[in-house]
Amino acid sequence: MSATGAERYARQVLHWGAEKQQQIQNSSLLVAGVGGLGATVSQLLVRAGIGHLYLVDDGVLDWPDLNRQTLYGEKDIGRAKLSLARERLNQINSATRIIELHGRIDDAFQVPAGVDGVADCLDNYRSRFLLYRALAAGTYFVHGGLDGDNGQVLTLLAGQSQPFDEVFAGALQPQGSIPVTPDNVVVIAGLMVNELFNVLWKTPKMLDRCLVVSLADFSMAFLEV
Amino acid sequence: MLQLQFFGLIRLLLKREALELAWTEGDTVQRVLDRVQVQVAVPFIQKLIDDQGTPHPGTIILVNRRNILHLQGLQTPLADGDTLAFFPPGAGG
Repeated sequence: MSATGAERYARQVLHWGAEKQQQIQNSSLLVAGVGGLGATVSQLLVRAGIGHLYLVDDGVLDWPDLNRQTLYGEKDIGRAKLSLARERLNQINSATRIIELHGRIDDAFQVPAGVDGVADCLDNYRSRFLLYRALAAGTYFVHGGLDGDNGQVLTLLAGQSQPFDEVFAGALQPQGSIPVTPDNVVVIAGLMVNELFNVLWKTPKMLDRCLVVSLADFSMAFLEV
Repeated sequence: MLQLQFFGLIRLLLKREALELAWTEGDTVQRVLDRVQVQVAVPFIQKLIDDQGTPHPGTIILVNRRNILHLQGLQTPLADGDTLAFFPPGAGG
């Protein structure tokens, strides 16, 4: 079964129009990590019709992932998330070209040339710092992170903004597992995707402004960085 | 005056998102934290700093958008009109 782009994207084009839709379809993004944030971020990008999507992740699906990693199910336990994500995303929208990047984000990691932006859906600051250092000047970086009822989204422009590892210096990984709930993951992922669209349309709204979110009292506030 | 901004768990703990303090000659981040502690009457310094006076990993403190770890840490001098932000970012994904 197939559908024309006009049918598939009809409801969102009513909202943002054909020109912005075309920009999404002509764009290329890297989603780093296809766990909690990344599974939903990549899924929403593909549903919206992103043209090219690079994915990087070296994890294997485990039971504690299933509460929030929306692309996967029980039968997937033990399988590599990267290939699972590609498989599921292709089922959602075969028009998106999905490229798997195997391996870890380390000192040697290279961001593919020509990507319009990078979504930081990682789960630790060490990898986030390495990812940011791998960006070419002029690349947008949309960071997401969360802990319990709290979370944040921030956009930086490599080469222009304060480097991510300077702003977040001292934000080291806590010991043990971080509390992460399905509802907050989807909230933060949704905000990240909204901002990724803004980046693709060259109108980022969180550039050098960290949106700090708390579900504990439904608050949002900007931290200028 | 000094503008203090609290985010995330620090804001929830203090039950306030901002505080304005009079600036005093010789003020540093540490001195301001000591004054805030008295004013808010909520034990929160230990959430930010250990017994040795070192900031805990996990909470970032910005002075005019710059992380104090790239300035002079808790001894970073403050000028009248400075903005301090306290933010424990979420690390999970």
